[in-house]
Amino acid sequence: MRKTLVIAVREYKSAVKTKAFLITLVAMPILFGGSIVVHALLEDKVDTRDRRVAVLDRTDQLFQTLDNAAQKHNQTEIFDQEGAQGKKVKPCFVVQEARVASQDLAQMRLELSEQVRNDEIMSFVIIGRDVIDPGEDQSENTIAYHSNTPTYDELRRWIGYVLNERIRELRLEAADLDSDVVQKAIQSAPVGNLGLVEMDETGQITRAEEANRFATIIVPFVLIMLMFMVVMVGAQPLLQSVLEEKMQRIAEVLLGSIPPFQLMMGKLLGTVGMSLTLLAVYLVGGFLAVQKAGVVQFFPTEIIWWFVLFQALAVLLFGSLFIAIGAACTDLKESQSMLTPVMVLVISPLFVWMYVLQQPNAPLSVALSLFPPATPMLMIIRQAVPPGIPLWQPLLGVLLLLITTVLGVLAASRIFRVGILMQGKGAKFGEMLRWIFRG
Amino acid sequence: MNIVEIEDVTKTFGRQTAVNDLTLSVPQGSIYGFIGPNGSGKTTTLRMIMRIYHPDSGRGTIRVLGEESYGAANDRIGYLPEERGLYKKMRVREILRFYAELKGRRDFKTAADPWIERLDVTDWADKKIEALSKGMSQKIQFIAAVIGEPELVILDEPFSGLDPVNTDALRDAVLDLRKSGTTVIFSTHDMDMAERMCDFVFMIYKGNKVLDGTLEAIQGTYGQDTIRVKLGGNGCDLSAIGGVEKVNDFGRLQELRIIDGADTQDVLSNLMKLGKVEHFELTRPSLHDIFVRIAAPDEKEADDA
Repeated sequence: MRKTLVIAVREYKSAVKTKAFLITLVAMPILFGGSIVVHALLEDKVDTRDRRVAVLDRTDQLFQTLDNAAQKHNQTEIFDQEGAQGKKVKPCFVVQEARVASQDLAQMRLELSEQVRNDEIMSFVIIGRDVIDPGEDQSENTIAYHSNTPTYDELRRWIGYVLNERIRELRLEAADLDSDVVQKAIQSAPVGNLGLVEMDETGQITRAEEANRFATIIVPFVLIMLMFMVVMVGAQPLLQSVLEEKMQRIAEVLLGSIPPFQLMMGKLLGTVGMSLTLLAVYLVGGFLAVQKAGVVQFFPTEIIWWFVLFQALAVLLFGSLFIAIGAACTDLKESQSMLTPVMVLVISPLFVWMYVLQQPNAPLSVALSLFPPATPMLMIIRQAVPPGIPLWQPLLGVLLLLITTVLGVLAASRIFRVGILMQGKGAKFGEMLRWIFRG
Repeated sequence: MNIVEIEDVTKTFGRQTAVNDLTLSVPQGSIYGFIGPNGSGKTTTLRMIMRIYHPDSGRGTIRVLGEESYGAANDRIGYLPEERGLYKKMRVREILRFYAELKGRRDFKTAADPWIERLDVTDWADKKIEALSKGMSQKIQFIAAVIGEPELVILDEPFSGLDPVNTDALRDAVLDLRKSGTTVIFSTHDMDMAERMCDFVFMIYKGNKVLDGTLEAIQGTYGQDTIRVKLGGNGCDLSAIGGVEKVNDFGRLQELRIIDGADTQDVLSNLMKLGKVEHFELTRPSLHDIFVRIAAPDEKEADDA
């Protein structure tokens, strides 16, 4: 046991002291949080140049509506606060009547397209003749928005909204109906997404919490991504470390001092320690971040120890597989191809996490979360979704994981024992299986 | 008492027999030299003594330090593998502490400092392994092997890559180990080193033991069949002389192996006809010569093939 600790301490130190560890520590949040930060930074940098749109109103009834709405929009919608000190954060919409020479519709389209190409206008709209009172000719029943910037959608949606409001009004008027009455008649009743109520100590029945999309989807997602990342960052260096020991013949010296099982356990413990260090940094950082953002209630405090436990077990299990591969290969290149099946196991929970999240108590979800390689991630998801799951399930999951891990470590130490001394040629899967069973 | 006792041990890898029916005893406090061509089974034998390899099941026993148990880990044995064996990114002192702790030593400083000083690595003690020269890391490797004060030290080619000064320093260290009662087994390709240092020499060839015993005993079995000659003049072909089986030309000195039963006086008189004999010595074959006699014929076959 003492020797196992000596190995663990060395493994921990050598992993934590590397530049790679520090880089990962910093780089991972940047990678994950980067898009959010960049997004926030770009929010300020909106292109506020005028959006000029030419309108060819073939109904002769809608242009004014659009023009009025645009002026209202330009006065009220584009500043970040009301009043004179407001900063312009959105572009003005400038609506103008289409200026065309020709009479033919196709020619007009061409002419307007040229204007777009020449940057005189950004886009043009052709309002069909019969949009208010639809007739036989489908092409006259629609509004056509033409632009050279198909991904910029804001103006098109705004025009659609304004025009349709007005068209509805006109139709109701034509049918002699009060638009307020109709509005009320067709209004839909919202369906709230609520949790359950319970009785607190004072006998009061609590108000049901509104289920939050953030809490129910983002939190589990962040948790499993974090777990996945820590497994990758934490356990993968084991492969290199074993390869080094093998290629530098350090393994021979080590095996002269410590039995392979203890050596493996030592390396794994060191790696678990390193992974948990990484995890602690992120969890504390995450906690401080949500606290600062004032949404501390979303921090999954109740299941955090389960999370740490499952994280440790995930590193143990996958670490033992990484070691086995390292022991069976002769160089890094070769190990990459052997790694594929293990990687599939690591990633597999990510294929089904949405299903498990939406139906956490479906029999298939329960079964999947008890499949040891998937247990850490899927069990945590099921625990994160209110109201959680019966205690026996995570306990059984931990038990199965522990058994699998011990078997994995045993198998890996067998492969290590035989594979580590083989020089010059790698092993096939068949050979690895033989080593596991014959020693 | 014998520290290592190997009895009828065979080790095969697939269809290839690495060590065949080997029996060997290493007495306590001796220096035992393992020689043999590359790939003949030296390292396999050393690894079996280390218990990194197990012999083929049911084929013989290996008793080390009186124990026949399984598992390689043994604090009473120190091991230096052939080349390398050190973490490149660790510093010298760190790695020595690591190996000392693995062998159960807690008083790292008292164990390591005398060696660091003695092998003249003080200036390098805080450097990383990857910054060291081959000879320097070989010395670190040696300290790592002996830092646990083992009763048996196994060194796989400890002298390869060392300059003469370091070779001497390491040789003296090995001799001192024996003085303090440690048993040393080492493999080498340096026949002079083996001749001068070893109490016993063991030669393995193609997995079979071909020599085992004290140098005197080994040389004794070959008798005085060698003549060292130095002839004045430009030198000429000596192999034509009657009674000479083989000539080893060392440039300024020739070694003649004579046919069993040939008259050395006849050889001398023939030599005198060829030129001025400056040196004539009747002697036993060197270990080098014995090695070549055993290993060369087949290497020649291999070349022809």
